[in-house]
Amino acid sequence: MPPVKQLWFSALNKPHVRDKYVQRVREIDKKIGSFLSFKLEEQDWTALGRKPLGGVPVAVKDNIAVRGRKLTCGSRILENFVAPYTATAIRRLENAGALVVGKTNMDEFGMGSSNEHSALGRTSNPWDLQRVPGGSSGGSAAAVAAGLVPLAVGSDTGGSVRQPANFCGIYGFKPTYGSISRYGLTAYASSLEVIGLFAVDIRLLETAFETMHAEDEFDQSSFSTNISGSEVKKIAMLDIDPGMLETPVAEAYTQAAQILRERGYVVEKVNLVTLKFVIPSYYTIANAEASANLARFDGIRYGSGSGYSQNPINLIKEARSRGFGDEVKLRILLGTYVLRSGFKDQYYIKAQRVRTLIRKELGVLLRNYPLLLMPVFPTQAFLRADSEMDNYKQRLSDIFTCLANLAGLPALSVPIGINRGLPTGVQFVAPAFGEKSLFDIARGFSEVFPVQFPPGALEIERMR
Amino acid sequence: MEQDEWAVTAELAALKLSEGEKKRLVKQAEQMRKLYLSMSSAVVDNLEPTTHASVVKNRVRKDEVKPFKDVDTLLDASNELDDRFFLIPNVL
Amino acid sequence: MNSSLKIFIGLEIHIHLKTESKMFCPCSAHYGDEPNTNICPICLGYPGTLPLLNERAIEHGYLVARALGCRLSNRISFARKNYFYPDMPKNYQISQHNHPVGIGGTIEVDFNDLGAKRIRIHNVHLEEDAGKMIHANDATLLDYNRAGYPLLEIVTEPDLSRGEEAELFLRDFQRLVRYLKVSDGNMEEGSMKCDANISINLPGRGLGTKVELKNMNSPRFVRLALGYEIERQSKLFNSGGEIVQETRLWNENRDITLPMRRKETPDDYRYFPEPDMPSFVSNAAFLKRIENQLVELPLAKKRRLQSEYDLKVEQAEFIHNDIAMVTLFEDTVKSGASARNVAAWLSSDVRKLLNRDKRTLADTPLNASRFSSLLTLVDQGRISGKIAKNVLKDIFSEDADPESIVEKKGWFQISDPNELGKIVDQVVSQNPDVIEIISGGDSKQKSWLMGEIMRVSNGKAAPELAKKILDERIG
Ligand SMILES: [Mg+2]
Ligand SMILES: [Zn+2]
Repeated sequence: MPPVKQLWFSALNKPHVRDKYVQRVREIDKKIGSFLSFKLEEQDWTALGRKPLGGVPVAVKDNIAVRGRKLTCGSRILENFVAPYTATAIRRLENAGALVVGKTNMDEFGMGSSNEHSALGRTSNPWDLQRVPGGSSGGSAAAVAAGLVPLAVGSDTGGSVRQPANFCGIYGFKPTYGSISRYGLTAYASSLEVIGLFAVDIRLLETAFETMHAEDEFDQSSFSTNISGSEVKKIAMLDIDPGMLETPVAEAYTQAAQILRERGYVVEKVNLVTLKFVIPSYYTIANAEASANLARFDGIRYGSGSGYSQNPINLIKEARSRGFGDEVKLRILLGTYVLRSGFKDQYYIKAQRVRTLIRKELGVLLRNYPLLLMPVFPTQAFLRADSEMDNYKQRLSDIFTCLANLAGLPALSVPIGINRGLPTGVQFVAPAFGEKSLFDIARGFSEVFPVQFPPGALEIERMR
Repeated sequence: MEQDEWAVTAELAALKLSEGEKKRLVKQAEQMRKLYLSMSSAVVDNLEPTTHASVVKNRVRKDEVKPFKDVDTLLDASNELDDRFFLIPNVL
Repeated sequence: MNSSLKIFIGLEIHIHLKTESKMFCPCSAHYGDEPNTNICPICLGYPGTLPLLNERAIEHGYLVARALGCRLSNRISFARKNYFYPDMPKNYQISQHNHPVGIGGTIEVDFNDLGAKRIRIHNVHLEEDAGKMIHANDATLLDYNRAGYPLLEIVTEPDLSRGEEAELFLRDFQRLVRYLKVSDGNMEEGSMKCDANISINLPGRGLGTKVELKNMNSPRFVRLALGYEIERQSKLFNSGGEIVQETRLWNENRDITLPMRRKETPDDYRYFPEPDMPSFVSNAAFLKRIENQLVELPLAKKRRLQSEYDLKVEQAEFIHNDIAMVTLFEDTVKSGASARNVAAWLSSDVRKLLNRDKRTLADTPLNASRFSSLLTLVDQGRISGKIAKNVLKDIFSEDADPESIVEKKGWFQISDPNELGKIVDQVVSQNPDVIEIISGGDSKQKSWLMGEIMRVSNGKAAPELAKKILDERIG
């Protein structure tokens, strides 16, 4: 069992520490705003001790269903919606003894990279409250970074786990597509997204992943396979035009390569000629799928409706127009557009063919190199309402993360220390089912760069 | 012209946009559409479109009934009920 | 009607597949339950739920495609068909678009006096049904029990040219799905639906402007609606009027079609591949399973009934109409009964009882073993033909075997010479005047005496033997 598990279990095993813990979380989260709801439920602590994740509190992104808890997806339209069932991935964590303590804030329906697109609250970066935690799983990342929980669940459609993990200085893991059931994950872009994990510790992350990884009868796109990893000697490093990255990010990137070389790996610079197509292809496909996935929110069967309307189509329009924010409306519009007859070939079909091209190039690369080193995001955590970082620029900046989603590959963002007061990091991408290589390489890095906590973070080891 | 296409699109998407939204969103949508068009330089006509992230084995469910235990919570979630029916204003 | 015009009619038929559970969730696909009882987060389109493909639905789809002579797809996949409507929980329908179960079949249909014709099938595809909307005064009530029922859609090429043909095609198709046991195929109860498209044009000019017809709830209405439409369009065509491409609804109260209210924006379904389910690839074992479920199709059956058993056209027509009837017929014949005799019984007495009770054969207690023992009783002279009709009625009403019915009711013929002799003696002694007339040479009165013997014996006297004894007694 991971030592972090023991640490949390032995602390929370004591009733008075549990009370203190809850109180402290509330105190800290007043400033950070990572949770939309928080509740530590009664447990049989004797039984928990024997379970692999027994007593580990877990935060869950609010687009993942936990029975009896709200499932808002950060949206007005689901503001009061309570999930009538539990996501398979969460059920598996709970069976292993993990305790879901709360649901975390997020960009509405996962659309955004800053958490500024949540309709239900503001989340701050624990390292600098003026800055965003990243997104869309920003609440989960912030909760882990602030020490409120050692483990959190998010979803990664185009980087929504890795980017906020990077902004907050923790591990952010996107598994191979299908290796964790999506049953219970509110769909944004079905062919791209997976449930992912945040953690302060790589062994804890690994245990949680092993717990969640299974073929699920409720998700026919899920599957189980032996998670492997070949012995890594050579690592590809994406050659990047230095102008693309902010200085601290570029420094971290170089430093990561340096450490790898020092540890005996061969690091070779490589190019991806399809990189320039990643963003247009990704957004065309993601938005197209979103336009259908979000069609179900019409205020009729559940969710906020619109009261009286002349006829049902107007009723639906009213509910959607009131219930969705700008970014969601924009992506639905774009997604609808690219599927329209007359435009579909030029946009949607083209993007899918481009996706094939990108996968091919990446496939060839990963046959030669068992790991690919890349930046996570061109910048460190940016300021709230940053004029330098408008919505369009943010979307363009997903370039390094959404590559793995287009290809369905596992990827892990790894912290590389603090630079100018903010976390930095890099990510590794592995071939499908190559999760083991990711965990191994990250373990090595953790010796040099263990996860650091910002001042004022919750320190469970000090609670007695 | 651009406005018209986006108006038709909004209609298909069941979105009613205010004047302000129209202005804001159409501008951003056009920006993205132009970005999409940058794919035109990719030579991909001989490639199959990727429709699924991973190609896996056949997955089917046995034809067996397993009733959902909590049907009434599904009714309670609705805005308006009439007995066991979901109720909405008239279609006609 | 201008007989020089060419008429093109194509049908889009939807059938509910006979499965236990829905197409994409494990809710019951049972019809007629309390509103909104067979629902779950999946079929209500709850966030986070995913479609779970029903194995039997795929098998049924392949089976029908195979029976219609389609090219079976090696790989099938699903697509989302996008449009907003309150009866559709996800506001898209999961259907098949590029890779349906079957493409390009043909089926021969017998249009009676109009002759047999081969009708081409465009494609056969699987999809899910929507919920039911009930319109009250100023509100609409929604019942999602039906949402997610497995549907199979069969699209024909525009190869039909008369309303009568469409009706006969549908009736034959109903038999087909019942033979295959994949659907009830009942239009009146909603387990089968049919839309039609029709266009007319001068010969050699190809298709005309397509008009879609909906809301026809029986094969007869399909015929009537098409008849009305042919008339309407021909008049328009011949007077130089313009036929508008539109959807029209059959109004069964007024026997006319009327244009459906038009929407502001035209439909654009924005089909794209369903990302939540992988494709299904058929293999040899799967296809073998389909092949094993294939049965002789209705038209072939009808022809074989005529040729192999030498049945009259009407008898074959009647028997082949119901697969249960065919089975009863063939099983009874197999157990040794004469085919023509069985056919005669089925198409007269059995049919009358079914009509009287408004039942189908499958709902009755009549089976091959009962039927053949009934016929054997007659053959062996143990009951008369007249008694046999009563026994049949009792099988229907009492769900019992013929032997025990006859036993219980004491209907066996009296063929013991002693016992019968006593009855004859009784009749002879009670009617000395009649005997006198017969002795006087009027032998016609003998049949009156036979009638008396039958009356006294409650119809049970074995006629041949009774006559023989009577002759002996009165010389
Ligand atoms: Mg259809
Ligand atoms: Zn269901």
